[in-house]
Amino acid sequence: MIEVSGLRYRNIGIDSLTIPPGITSVIGPNGSGKTSFLRLCSGITEPEAGEILIDGKKPRETDAGWVNEFPDKNILFSQVSEEIASALRFSHQPCRQTESAVLAIAETMDIMHLLDRTMRELSGGEKVLVALAAALVQRPKILVLDEYDSHLDEMRCLQIEQVIRSCTVPYVIRCTQQMETAARGDYLLFLENGCISLSGNPARVFASLRQTLFYPLSWRCEV
Amino acid sequence: MRLHLNAARASRGNWSLVAKGTFCKGIHLVSGDVGSGKSSLALMMAGLLSPAGGNIVRDGISSTMISLQFPEYHVTGATVEEECRSWGLDCEPIFSEINLRDKRTAEPLALSRGELKRLHLACVLAKNYDLLLLDEPFSSLDAREKERLCEHLSLRSAGITILFTHEQTYFPRVDHIWEIQHGELFDRGEMPGALTMWEHAPALIKKLISSGRSLKNISHLDLQEAVCRM
Repeated sequence: MIEVSGLRYRNIGIDSLTIPPGITSVIGPNGSGKTSFLRLCSGITEPEAGEILIDGKKPRETDAGWVNEFPDKNILFSQVSEEIASALRFSHQPCRQTESAVLAIAETMDIMHLLDRTMRELSGGEKVLVALAAALVQRPKILVLDEYDSHLDEMRCLQIEQVIRSCTVPYVIRCTQQMETAARGDYLLFLENGCISLSGNPARVFASLRQTLFYPLSWRCEV
Repeated sequence: MRLHLNAARASRGNWSLVAKGTFCKGIHLVSGDVGSGKSSLALMMAGLLSPAGGNIVRDGISSTMISLQFPEYHVTGATVEEECRSWGLDCEPIFSEINLRDKRTAEPLALSRGELKRLHLACVLAKNYDLLLLDEPFSSLDAREKERLCEHLSLRSAGITILFTHEQTYFPRVDHIWEIQHGELFDRGEMPGALTMWEHAPALIKKLISSGRSLKNISHLDLQEAVCRM
């Protein structure tokens, strides 16, 4: 479990929250604190007060994969294959093992055709796919995705969800503005003004949002 | 006012895209897979990328604006206020429209991505352009902002508006649908006839059509009305 207690950071104030294993979606209005919350979960930033524990460990003591909402901010290297290999190289994995892991994740994600390209010439969606591969290649305990789906088509989103589930990452926390995507997750958090105003399985949370624009249109249309 | 694509070609290594067709006044939607060349096509249409072959003729188009996929690429001001002024705009109406008055001295790149997108789109949409190209305009916007953008675009009565998007549920009422497949731009025609030809249609729209529900257009209201008519 991810246990959040007494968390304070900028406009974030969460007294108590438990997130079960699986894919958790975070939704809410622009500026509600979703990115700040995700950064705290990944350990990129530390709370001013309180703590987040992932199976009893702080995020910085946990292997975390992170995909930034600004695709260009994920990029460290010029070549796609080197970008994907970066986390394994930083952790001093043997070269042969790194190469085979890069090929394996590229094949799983159907991006083999991108390996010899430079990051600069990729489209926005392709940059996100490479960032996801770079995050997944190290098999993190927690994968944190900040609006990764805003540059992907629907088919790619579904494909990526399958890849993430097949990689058996224990915890995935993703922020999205596509309510259909949020509806497919295992757990849902609705963040407003820095506070978690709703949490639970998607059916339960969306039931409370039925009168709002956050309710999935496919559910409203009942198709 | 027309934008003619005369076998305009974008290419890079083994990849290429050929675009033929004429875009008339109204709202056009262009869809395609990741990496299919939507952004390259938008850049060619804007005149920021020279075609590798063919040509583009802007007939009667005297002003063009492109909103790039990533709002951060547009930022030139050190503060939100400076950014707004850099577009030659009066800040106050923009701030009240997007509710960012209390962040006027913040650095644009310190805003959340959704807030930056709101600021950027408000600056783009504050003026009228004959040709308005919007590359992924809905990315990072919450549901309320997506709806507001759709309303704004629906009110744009003049000019050619072209949306390049992966959005699944929020659209303005569009006049024409195009899609990129196998390195080529295909004209799927005018609404509502284009809907049955639209291969990249979001799953929800495909389901509504396959279940026999009559769709006039693809705005949120149209989709809900289609359900209520059953």
